[in-house]
Order: sequence, then structure tokens, then C-alpha cells
Amino acid sequence: MLKFENVSFGFGTGKQPLLNNINFGLAAGEFGVLLGENGAGKSTLLRLCNGLLKPQSGTITVCGNSTSAEKTSLIAKSAGFLFQNPDRQLCQKTVREELEFGLRLHGKTDELSSECDEILEEFGLNPDDDPFSLSSGMRQYAAIASVLVCRPSLLLLDEPTSWLDATQTKTFLSVVKKRQQSGTAVLMITHDIKLANRAATRTFTLQQGQLSA
Amino acid sequence: MKALEYIPGSTLLHKTNPIIKIVAAFLITAVCFITTNHFVILGILALTVCLAAFCRSGLWALRVLRSLCILSALLFVVQALCTQQGEVLFILPLGINVTLGGVLFSALFVLRLLACALPLALVFRVTKGIDLANALHKNLHVPYKFAFAISSAMRFVPDFIDEMHEIKEAQTARGAELDSRNPFKKIRLLVPLCVPLLLSGVRKAQSAAISAELRGVSLRS
Ligand SMILES: Nc1ncnc2c1ncn2[C@@H]1O[C@H](COP(=O)(O)OP(=O)(O)OP(=O)(O)O)[C@@H](O)[C@H]1O
Ligand SMILES: [Mg+2]
Repeated sequence: MLKFENVSFGFGTGKQPLLNNINFGLAAGEFGVLLGENGAGKSTLLRLCNGLLKPQSGTITVCGNSTSAEKTSLIAKSAGFLFQNPDRQLCQKTVREELEFGLRLHGKTDELSSECDEILEEFGLNPDDDPFSLSSGMRQYAAIASVLVCRPSLLLLDEPTSWLDATQTKTFLSVVKKRQQSGTAVLMITHDIKLANRAATRTFTLQQGQLSA
Repeated sequence: MKALEYIPGSTLLHKTNPIIKIVAAFLITAVCFITTNHFVILGILALTVCLAAFCRSGLWALRVLRSLCILSALLFVVQALCTQQGEVLFILPLGINVTLGGVLFSALFVLRLLACALPLALVFRVTKGIDLANALHKNLHVPYKFAFAISSAMRFVPDFIDEMHEIKEAQTARGAELDSRNPFKKIRLLVPLCVPLLLSGVRKAQSAAISAELRGVSLRS
């Protein structure tokens, strides 16, 4: 599903690269958790996964597509990405429009209402709320829902639970676990060790540019 | 490319009093508008680029000029077609005259624009916003409230640009074809992105105002 082969990446030239010769893969149905200190380069690694950043050397493949060769908007059809800050992704007037916006971008107009209803129900979201007036936890839910509704085969989550309370975290985990068990590959960044232990089938730690399993 | 961001450094220009820098930039602007000689303005532009190179920003200056050139080219064409003066150089289809006066005038116009923008951008690049505020307050006796507002506004510009970039990334990651080459497609897709940008701008301004007030700057009186 996702494969890194000898990937190196750094911001700016000359300096020591942030990620140094990284090799790993993630198969369908696996739940990978990525741990690491602040500034270790976790978000950078995730951005590499869907081609927002291109590797300086090595290759990254997502569902058989090389991120260096394909546009991010195309890779997005198989890789759903949740940003560290949900406010960056939301752009519509109601929660329902937010979900439909994502589906439309993927050209899935016939699945609009049924898919949306199911996910809104799972997260307890009200379709007519304005995403920007929601509490931060619910805003995060709206962002997650808008990613999940497109049924990506690879889920990339950047600290998805940092805005959620304990109950919300539980709900979130059960929804994502369900997806994982039906064959979605998940790669999640978190600082929450307990959550990592509960969720992961594999854990990776990023330290000084090296990834250890 | 970050056009209005402060880049720390220790060159002579970084250490110069902010007031001198700002006044110099405005003097240059004034000269550009007073003179009608193309070569004077070209000289000013060259000088500014040299100054930028002197504080290790030469490449940056050229890049700013390059990105301004797109806008300038557009303005130049419009102006040149609208101004009908002097000798006719050649006639375009549909009977539109291109005149010598028109070309000279629009060249002057565009050069002025470039020569005014670059020095100001350079000042922002080598001056910390808070230093500028302090200098305005101390030396020119501008009320601190205004000086503070100016420096805060300056600080938000690079933030705003970064945020726009992040929002574009986020929407591309959702499958919006913002990485397409087609400019019309891009513009159509960019419109919905203005919502989060404006909202976060307003929110940021509000929280900046509150935190300033909590630290004793009275903004409401
Ligand atoms: N666009 C950029 N340009 C230059 N440097 C950057 C850029 N984005 C991130 N960095 C730098 O790369 C390093 C790693 O950033 P990254 O966001 O990947 O860390 P992280 O592991 O996600 O940290 P956190 O846990 O705080 O989210 C940081 O030192 C950061 O300053
Ligand atoms: Mg991060």
C-alpha cells in the first residue's frame, strides 16, 4: 500500500537531512503508529507520503503510484490526509457540504447522501452546523469525517487526537479501527503512548533522521 | 518566496536606524515619481538590487522583480494601448495604434512601480517590526498604539502567506487539482479557500488584540 525505499529528505540544501535513508512499508489492514519528539520530522514524513513534498532521493510508492511521478491531487484519491490543524482543511458552510465537497473532488457524486449520513451518525455530527463555529473537538471530527467519507485505502493522520477529549478519542479510535479491519492501511502520528499501544499493529519511532520499528 | 518577511542578519543595513531606512525608502519613492527620466529610475532599481546583494539578498531581490514582472507586463500592455500620443510605431489588427508616447509613458509607469516596491520590500526584509515600532515611537513621536499596530500588521503578512500555502496543501491533499497547470481551473478552485483564510485571519487579529490588551496596551479608547 505504502512503500519507502532509501528515502532521504531535508529542507534547504547543505544542511544535514531531516530524514536519512528511510525504508519501510505498510500493507493493507495494518495500523502503523509513528512516534518521535517534537521536530523529529514526523509531519514531514507524512507530507512525503502523499507527494506534498517530494523525496530528494529514493522512491515512495502509494498503491503502485510513485509520488515523484504523480500529482498530489491524483494520489489523494487513494490517500486520505488529516492535517495537524483541522482549520486548514475545512472550507464549507455546513458539515454536510464539507463532506460532499470531498466526495465531489473525487468524482463520487452518486454516493453523496448515504455515505455522509452513516459517517455523521458515527461521529454524532449535526449536518447543518457551521464547521467553524463548532468546538475544537467537533471541528476535528468534521475534518476526520470529511477524509473518511471518501473511503481512502491509505489513511494518513497527523496527531488526530490532540483536539479530542477522552470519550471522543475512544469513538475516533473505534471508527478508524473498523476501517483498518476492513482493509484500510493507517499511518498515525501521535504523542499519546497509551493510544499508540491500543491502536497499533506496528509502531515506528523517528529519531535523528532514522526510523526504527 | 517570502516577499515581506524579516530575515535576521548582521549587515550594515540591518544595523541602520529603522527611521533612516524608512525615510530613505520614501525618498526613493518620491524621486521615482518626480523624475520622468527612464534611466534615473533604472539606476535606482540597479542601486537597490546592489544594496540587496550587499545584505546577501541579491537573489531574493531578483526573484521579487521577476514575480512583479508578470503584473508589470500586463499593466504595460494595457497602458500602452490606452495611451495615444506622438508618432505611431505600428498598427495592430482591429486598427489599434501603438504610439511612441504610449510606450514611453507606460514604460515609465511600470518602472516607477518596480522602483517603489523593491526598496520598501527591502526595508521590511532587514528591519524587525518591533524595532520599527520602537523607532517610530521614540524618534518620530508616533503614538505607541499606532506604531504597535503597524509592526503587528507587518508581522502578520508572512504568517498569512504561510497559512495560504498550508491551506492550498490541505485542499490538494483532499484531491483539489491546485497542482494543475491550468490557471482557470486553479482560480476556480482557489475561491472556496478564501473562507478559512479570512476566518483564521480575523481570529488571529482578535486574539492578538486581546493578548495585547491583557499586557496593558489599550486599543479601544
Ligand atoms: N516548510 C519548511 N521549511 C523549512 N523547515 C521546515 C519546514 N517545515 C518544517 N520544517 C522544519 O523541519 C523540522 C521537522 O518538522 P516537522 O513538522 O516534520 O516535525 P514534527 O515531528 O511533526 O513535530 P511536531 O511533533 O511538533 O508536530 C522542524 O525543525 C521544522 O522547523
Ligand atoms: Mg507535526
